[in-house]
Amino acid sequence: MSRRTALVTGACLCAAAPKRHAAAFTPPQGERPLYGAQLWSLPNGLRVAFVQSRRVPVICQYLFYGAGGGEDPEGLSGIAHYLEHMMFKGSRNVPSGALSQRVAREGGNDNAFTSRDVTAYFQQVEASHLALIMGMEADRCAHPLFPPPEMAAELSVVLEERRQRTDSNPRALFREAFQAGMWGRQHWHGRPIIGWPEEIRAIRHADLVAFFERWYAPANAVLVIAGDAEPAALERLVEQHYGGVPARPTTPRDRAPPPPAPVERRLVTRSAAIREGSFLRAWFAPTLTYGEAEQAWPLEVLAHMLGGGQGSLLHEALVETGIAVTANAGYDADAVGAGEFLVSAMPGRGTAPERLEAAAAAVIEKLLQEGANPALVARSIRQITAGALLSLDGIGAAPRMLGTALASGLPVEVVEYWPSRIRAVTPEQVTAAARAVLGAPLDAIGWLLPETT
Amino acid sequence: MAEGFTLPIQVIESDGISAWLTEDHSVPVVSLAWSWQGGAGLEKAGEEGTTALMASLLTEGAGDLRAREFADALRDDAISLSFDSQRDGFEGGFRALRDAVPAALRLARLAMTAPRFDADALQRVRARAVAGARQVMETPGGQARRAFWATAFPDHPAGRPTGGTAESLAAIPEAAIRAAHARQIRRDGLLVAVAGAINPAELRALLTTLFAALPPGAPEAPPALPPFIDFGSRVVPMPFPQSTILFGQPGLAVQDPDWEAAQVMLRVLGGGGFSSRLMQAVRVQRGLTYGISAGLDVLYGQALITGGLATQNAKVAEALTVTTAEWRRMAEDGPTEAERADAIAYLRGSLPLQFTDSRRIAGTLLSLRRNNRPLDWLAARPARLAAISRDRLAAVASRLLKPDGLSVAIAGQPAGL
Repeated sequence: MSRRTALVTGACLCAAAPKRHAAAFTPPQGERPLYGAQLWSLPNGLRVAFVQSRRVPVICQYLFYGAGGGEDPEGLSGIAHYLEHMMFKGSRNVPSGALSQRVAREGGNDNAFTSRDVTAYFQQVEASHLALIMGMEADRCAHPLFPPPEMAAELSVVLEERRQRTDSNPRALFREAFQAGMWGRQHWHGRPIIGWPEEIRAIRHADLVAFFERWYAPANAVLVIAGDAEPAALERLVEQHYGGVPARPTTPRDRAPPPPAPVERRLVTRSAAIREGSFLRAWFAPTLTYGEAEQAWPLEVLAHMLGGGQGSLLHEALVETGIAVTANAGYDADAVGAGEFLVSAMPGRGTAPERLEAAAAAVIEKLLQEGANPALVARSIRQITAGALLSLDGIGAAPRMLGTALASGLPVEVVEYWPSRIRAVTPEQVTAAARAVLGAPLDAIGWLLPETT
Repeated sequence: MAEGFTLPIQVIESDGISAWLTEDHSVPVVSLAWSWQGGAGLEKAGEEGTTALMASLLTEGAGDLRAREFADALRDDAISLSFDSQRDGFEGGFRALRDAVPAALRLARLAMTAPRFDADALQRVRARAVAGARQVMETPGGQARRAFWATAFPDHPAGRPTGGTAESLAAIPEAAIRAAHARQIRRDGLLVAVAGAINPAELRALLTTLFAALPPGAPEAPPALPPFIDFGSRVVPMPFPQSTILFGQPGLAVQDPDWEAAQVMLRVLGGGGFSSRLMQAVRVQRGLTYGISAGLDVLYGQALITGGLATQNAKVAEALTVTTAEWRRMAEDGPTEAERADAIAYLRGSLPLQFTDSRRIAGTLLSLRRNNRPLDWLAARPARLAAISRDRLAAVASRLLKPDGLSVAIAGQPAGL
């Protein structure tokens, strides 16, 4: 039932899903790109990527903007997301709500999402309707209306969305408080993407317009088309619809570094509304765009080895012993600015929190002292990369990965050659990255506990 | 054009097992899905979750492979193999790269024919399931769903959670899990659907490898679904600023000649996207919710008409009043001609979108088989849809929709009810 906005939260707190990519580098001789995307740019600065797939007569369009919740101005968190909602309220040649209706009339789907790093609008339709969706997307890229009379009802919708995702979910509230505690309530990484409630209410029409003017220039956008189209015809269509969007100056993102140490080292929340506890431990970490970027790929391997399901170190020490019912590690290499490495676990019935915390710390301490086991590194690399080609099954994965990377300022090789980048990671690099990140005394710990415990 | 778009479906048989196949070699991936009747429908009161626990344990060690070795064998080749206990059926399936299909077959066959049910695996999976069941009850959605189904079907498996409750899961003996395996995983009564890079000869061999060694005889049929009990409204108090609301009423049989007319009418009333009357009235015009939808929910060959939304506690009464008014307006007048045309255009035009990935294609084919549809169901669907008149939609709305007979389960602190 959740429509319109798949709010992508930056930190994945759940399972350590198998990952993608590889930083900018020269691909090994003979290595084929995963998607073979064609790239070009328009004079107004819009970058375009096309991935052909002729399996069925279907096409999808994604327009990514290089701005997300991380670009919200201080004190006005939630603008990027509220703006995304208001982008459906009409443009010069398309009445409010008509984009979705016209797409549906042709049997298609459309939606949008706001993450910390990007905002993306997308449609999927039968291939002959590409011109229709391009025309409408280009129109709102150039001339959105943001009609003031529709702002109040949409504000209510956003607040209901927040109540649904966060305010009526003690675990989501806790994760939000943990992020704010670690990075700071007004730090770009510490604020919720949907915004603090009082700040969402404070957003004015002029704030939306200013955000749009600042970030939604064609030169700060990436158009990704995937599906059944002829390259030459597609190029003409892109030029016809997007070529006329006026160029505007852009200024690069300027994201603050993390605080010198977590603002709150330990957050313990007791809640009568929950029945099972939850443990979080997070460290500031480099990414492909921040800090010691060469540690980013080894950290992806480390996350799998430490908490990527059965056979991982945390699973063995916590879940197989009954101390915890779940234990995971997560890390995203391809974020904009500073990132984090996260460990999470749910204690077993009757496990004292101290026992779980000590057992998790012991796993990490042992890893830091002994270094990464080469056999485990090899197994993690194999399991992370084994399914790379599965993302060709379906047409949504390629545009999402390409658009996110390009709009985050990363080169296309990060997506096209990620498996060989992961395969190039050595046990020594994993050890070094683990010592640099998990060995630094810059972690934050969080406990959500039932009130009765 | 999208008229009747469907990939050609072949029927492949081997050893008395038939599979529907859409063959496509453009991507080196194969997806299989198969099912039997049964699932949670075969569980007695107090045993709920037995079949779900069994389903989880099938991939937690089989043959000579202990749990971790089995998991490594799957993950080393990126094979996603899983089993799922549903309200009235049991499904298995895998997706694998073409080169990994032999390994996937070996593991899937082992899981079905020689699951280990090791004590340590059972203890671990049970602990996770109990924690999961307790966590579901932390959420207003979980509480509202539990209240809705338990009240609508108090003396039937449909009224109990397929995943079990913390209490039932804690008490299930290992013998009951083995018994659930023995009654469910059979060679007969199987429906199979396949999509992707596999040809008919390969599929014939696959069917034999995968299923021929299973014990003969089909799982028994679960008890027929009793009539839906209209329970008015039921509130589960929860300390949150927002209430989660589920509503529902009886619908129609999957084989009812009005099935597709009902789909069209409900698309107009509460279908996905922004065009539905409920979305317009409740979200777009009044800002009362992030999302509202209503549609057919199929179980035991019947469909209920169910829907849901979440709104702040102070607005529950208003949201329900608006929803009921839309229900009544549709029951009395049916859709307009323009709404009819839009809804049918959507349902026709969206057909190719169901064929973009192999897992989804296999799932679509399996649903057709479970609903006993003929092979040409999708190909002939546009013509059938085009023949549905506005008057027929009005008649089906009048026949089905009961604005005064909506049962409502609410979790939260609703005001003014």
